[in-house]
Amino acid sequence: MENPPLSIHGFPRAIVHIDGDAFFASCEQARDPALKGRPVITGKERGIVASMSYEAKALGVTRAMRLFEVRKLCPDAVILPSDYETYSLLSKRFFSIVRRYTPDVEEYGIDECFADLTGLRRPLRMNYIEIARRIKEDLDKELGFTFSAGLAPNKVIAKLASKWKKPSGFTAIMARDIHLYLKDLPVEKVWGIGPQTAAYLQKLGAKTALSFARKDEDWVNAHFTKPSYEIWQELNGRSVLPLVTAEKTSYASIQKVKTFTPPSNDRKFVFAQLSKNIENATMKARRYKLAAKGAVVFIKTQDFRSAGMEVRLSRPTAFPNEIISAITPAFNKLFSSKLTYRQTGVVLLDLEEDTVAQLDLFGAAVKAEKMKRLYESVDELRKRYGKHTLYLGSSYYANQFAQHLGERGDIPERKETLFKGETKRRRLGIPVFLGEVR
Amino acid sequence: MPTLEKNKEKILGFWRRKKRMPSYGEIAELFGFKSKNAAYKIVRKLVDLGALAKDASGRIVPKSLATLFPVLGVVEAGWPSPAEEELLDTLTLDQFLIGNREATYILKVTGDSMIEAGIMPGDHVLVERGGEAKDGDIVIAEVDGAWTMKYFRKRGKQVMLVAANKKYNPIVPQEELRVAAIVKSSFRKY
Repeated sequence: MENPPLSIHGFPRAIVHIDGDAFFASCEQARDPALKGRPVITGKERGIVASMSYEAKALGVTRAMRLFEVRKLCPDAVILPSDYETYSLLSKRFFSIVRRYTPDVEEYGIDECFADLTGLRRPLRMNYIEIARRIKEDLDKELGFTFSAGLAPNKVIAKLASKWKKPSGFTAIMARDIHLYLKDLPVEKVWGIGPQTAAYLQKLGAKTALSFARKDEDWVNAHFTKPSYEIWQELNGRSVLPLVTAEKTSYASIQKVKTFTPPSNDRKFVFAQLSKNIENATMKARRYKLAAKGAVVFIKTQDFRSAGMEVRLSRPTAFPNEIISAITPAFNKLFSSKLTYRQTGVVLLDLEEDTVAQLDLFGAAVKAEKMKRLYESVDELRKRYGKHTLYLGSSYYANQFAQHLGERGDIPERKETLFKGETKRRRLGIPVFLGEVR
Repeated sequence: MPTLEKNKEKILGFWRRKKRMPSYGEIAELFGFKSKNAAYKIVRKLVDLGALAKDASGRIVPKSLATLFPVLGVVEAGWPSPAEEELLDTLTLDQFLIGNREATYILKVTGDSMIEAGIMPGDHVLVERGGEAKDGDIVIAEVDGAWTMKYFRKRGKQVMLVAANKKYNPIVPQEELRVAAIVKSSFRKY
């Protein structure tokens, strides 16, 4: 046989990967029939494309493209501000519809998930292909836009299957058919193989996914580490990557990044943006009872060049003032008043549980106890009156305006229309169609 | 009264007087038995009938002493009022109005096309996506790039959208009619 199968099995396990087609743009099109069939783009408030409908994709719009380029490319594109409230409500619905069929669901981002269907044939009285197809149909019908699904014996192949045909595709790959799909697939298209690994594989003569899959086990272990070995096993039809179905209760790192418009070269303003990022990141850290031992701060210029620096902290902390004073020297090194900046960000690193208060020589632990009580009150006030009722003086300039001025300061329609009895902070937990019906 | 019912009454009487369940020894005494084994047999019958249950340590707990003995949860001190019993079977307004939560959306009504069906401009409707529309349903359909709400009429293969307002003529779709959702309820907040 010229191209023998990699496995003799059908579905030793049944993993389905489901992906919302152009999720944010589709949410908008499902809400408003006037947008159907038109190029729709979200991300107006960021100045770059966050998501584009298939109509816009066909015209050559790509993710992260700047909006003025989009306008040149397709002048009649509908450009909308992101309505994250509606997107998250629909995302939650997406996962609960999948959970009607199986409890083993891994939420992999806002618009995609893995689900394990193994063993459900008898209780649901359907074969795996029928189950996966039913899930897709429920999603399409109840959410009003399409999803692409891929059924396979493991995560790597399932991910490949859901991409195989898009939009609204359904592809089932049995273990014994995997080789047919890998034959012409460039190895870098495989989920989990990054540009570095791909380049190395190509040097070793494995250009396609199939040629990688056909290498023998010893060869793979001799050249690569565990992650690539696991991918190799999955390409061969085995299932080794488990589904992470637990909801997130802890984080390895916390990141807060914000783009602001118009871009600025004002040191105080850019620092205030960074200070606000740190306040938001530490707020999240305190919510999960975590403290950071290090932080990376970065600033991005108008032409998308970024500069960053890592700072170590003497003691794990979740208080913004401590982190801000630690990163100030780094910021001063990074910032140049000759450049215009459009984005700042912070990543809190090496998070650990915020329980052990280490005593130190300078009595900082006593101070930390006081800070702890202070921030408990701050968090309580914010919970009651809104996130931005109370902020540090260093964030002052970032809190003076909306994040985006001018045309991009658009607010999504849902945020502007309040039903009677709703408030800005509390709205009905049900997505709203366009909102009006004649 | 059948014997078992009488036995149940006796245990019930004990529970009323002492506010607790009897031990096997006390049951034997209650029925005039000499051995606890006889009491055990009666308890077993009542357990089989679902009137009593045994807890983890083997002691007797009331389960559903049927019509005679309304139990709210496990042992309640005092006599539960009928009002409390009724509470067990109430729905929240959410549960009452929403069937399939994942497929339900809100729309605000602006037009007057359903006014004779009692849906006024300014009302809100809860609609469900994904169902099959039947003749007589109020549906949301897409007409000329906007949502419209009408009665769905079906005669044989002929489909029509009819307003509940004489001002508007029925819409007979030229091509395929796309029903986006079915109206399940409407509400108005003053």
